[in-house]
Amino acid sequence: MVTTYTPVTYRFTLEELNIEVEPIYKLMGFDPDDVHEPFPEMIQNELAILAPYCNIQGGYVLVEPVELQDKTIIINGVTFEVGKKVTRYLKNSQRMALFTCTAGEGISARSKQFMDNGDMLEGYITDVIGSVIVETAMDRIHNYIKNEYSLMGENTTNRYSPGYCNWSVGEQFKLFSFLPDNFCNVSLSESALMHPIKSVSGFIGLGTDVKFIEYLCDNCNSTNCIYRNLK
Amino acid sequence: MEQLYSQLADCIEFGKINQAAPYPPQFKGMPGADELTQQLLAEGASAGDILSKALIIGMEKIGVKFRENKVFVPQVLMSAKAMSTALVYLKPLFAQNGSDRKGTFIIGTVEGDLHDIGKNLVAMMVEGNGYEVIDLGTDVTAEKFMAAGKEHPDAVIGMSALLTTTMGNMEKIVREIKAAEPNRKVCIGGAPVNDAFAKKIGADSYNPDPQGVVEFLNAMAS
Repeated sequence: MVTTYTPVTYRFTLEELNIEVEPIYKLMGFDPDDVHEPFPEMIQNELAILAPYCNIQGGYVLVEPVELQDKTIIINGVTFEVGKKVTRYLKNSQRMALFTCTAGEGISARSKQFMDNGDMLEGYITDVIGSVIVETAMDRIHNYIKNEYSLMGENTTNRYSPGYCNWSVGEQFKLFSFLPDNFCNVSLSESALMHPIKSVSGFIGLGTDVKFIEYLCDNCNSTNCIYRNLK
Repeated sequence: MEQLYSQLADCIEFGKINQAAPYPPQFKGMPGADELTQQLLAEGASAGDILSKALIIGMEKIGVKFRENKVFVPQVLMSAKAMSTALVYLKPLFAQNGSDRKGTFIIGTVEGDLHDIGKNLVAMMVEGNGYEVIDLGTDVTAEKFMAAGKEHPDAVIGMSALLTTTMGNMEKIVREIKAAEPNRKVCIGGAPVNDAFAKKIGADSYNPDPQGVVEFLNAMAS
């Protein structure tokens, strides 16, 4: 029997997300207290005109029961090979929110157009802003989940995604099999690349005994992760 | 003349595009890459000398700083912008005299992968270091790399991948290129790959940063 899950979705405008420049500076590598022109002005100018290029939406399905083993998580007969690290972080989860979220196709298209015209810096700035938009939107959804389940005495974990913490990006296919087709307009290519490119997906664990880890990066030795010490 | 070369190298290193550009603050009101390149040409400097005595010097310095985490992608892109401004004047002259370039580099992101910021960064650093760059873009198949290789028989091929799922495509592409042209030099880069992977798939070089690619190409060219 095919189990279907009830999806929960959200949409945001760029204005609603009230994007801050600090995470943009950090993702570019800068110390937020030591950023010089022209970068702050270029970022502000781009933020001011990006709204029409955004189609920000995200959502999740809540799945249970979940079975956590040493290196795997089994949900409704599907085994996720998440590795030891992620199973440890998701320890004690009684249920999980399987999510995706996107900033929309327009931002990536705008970034690509800049780059195709040789304006690499402008294209890069747009790309980084797109990353921050999708993460900020997902922060909101994460908070909605946290607030809703805290009323029932449950906690939430951090977000964990295929492609990070040694969890293979190829596992996206299993994750997306739990989501409705083209959920929030996000789809996967043959190589597990999400379209639109500025999209995220992953797991959030829920339960009375799960933990949110404040300094997750301290426990990871990846040196090329774009999220390293971002939060 | 030497003073002008040195000034232009500084403009490239610090990303000073032209006199009107407010960045970097310490160069405010001073001539930038645009004006200095024109001045050097007007005073009789050759395109090759401007490339080797100013552009390459500036790009090497910013490349090393980037490797050492002293600057970040936006500053490298500002340098690249200053370099591109200078190249607008030099490229037509290179076309007249191809020997001014150190060699040709074909670059692309492998089939199945659409990430291109790292690839673009490498392309710009390599161009600024005196090479002609043929950028094939993203989602590039073995056939496309090999077709470009036929047009540029002495070119080195570089390819990048950001996804672990496209590392398999990278392996396939490298093996196909090497099967057809065993002497063709191929280098790889990208977040999920490393030196061991390069050796396993038969690539000639793995480089974790753009300056490493430049150093590999310089070693091949010397």
